[in-house]
Amino acid sequence: MTEQDPSQNPADAPVDPLYTHPASPFTQTEVPTPVAFASPPSPTPAIYSTWITYRTQIEFGLSMLAYLMVLVGSVIVVQANPDADWRYFVALLPVAPAGFVIWLFVRALAQLDELQKRIQVSAFGFSLAATALITFGYGFLEGAGMPHLSWTYVLPLMALFWGAATAIFTWRYR
Amino acid sequence: MLRAEVAWSQAELAERLGVSRQTVNAIETGKYDPSLPLAFSLARTFKRQIEEIFEAEPIPT
Repeated sequence: MTEQDPSQNPADAPVDPLYTHPASPFTQTEVPTPVAFASPPSPTPAIYSTWITYRTQIEFGLSMLAYLMVLVGSVIVVQANPDADWRYFVALLPVAPAGFVIWLFVRALAQLDELQKRIQVSAFGFSLAATALITFGYGFLEGAGMPHLSWTYVLPLMALFWGAATAIFTWRYR
Repeated sequence: MLRAEVAWSQAELAERLGVSRQTVNAIETGKYDPSLPLAFSLARTFKRQIEEIFEAEPIPT
């Protein structure tokens, strides 16, 4: 019968890594080659709360409302003063809220993730090409005698194609 | 599926990665290949190597 020192219990002894034993074939002779590029820093997770989503929509809605109010106001004022020297400035006033809408739009684009940005780039490309094709086509038709259409139709047409293309490209990644 | 092992929803994983749920879904269904930074984030989130999560397409001969 052998008595074992409790402190010498082999079950308690820490297990040595294989390569530390002199006879081990797992001899570690050199450190692993470091990777050429360090991993990128962990991105701060964006907060996707309903409040953020609604805030963007509320800001967008309010600025569109402001744009429409300034637009209607300026049209009324310009029509009431057709000979005033300042009518051009008043006619240009709706550009200011429209610029704010565009700023909100660009900010919303910057908050998209990589797949959503890819979808938007495809949708914008489609919208640009389709609008160019239609406006050029109608320009040639105007040369042949079709009635002249206002330039203000171009943007709604572009927006229409952009919306449709966004829906189609989003559906493709579903 | 790795996400099922940790019992996260697509929305939960998307929030951890800082992307939309749509993007997580597109990666899972193989319709979208993530960028290298997003692939690293995925690997870090699941505490794996990138090669354990993604497979390179065979080089056409």
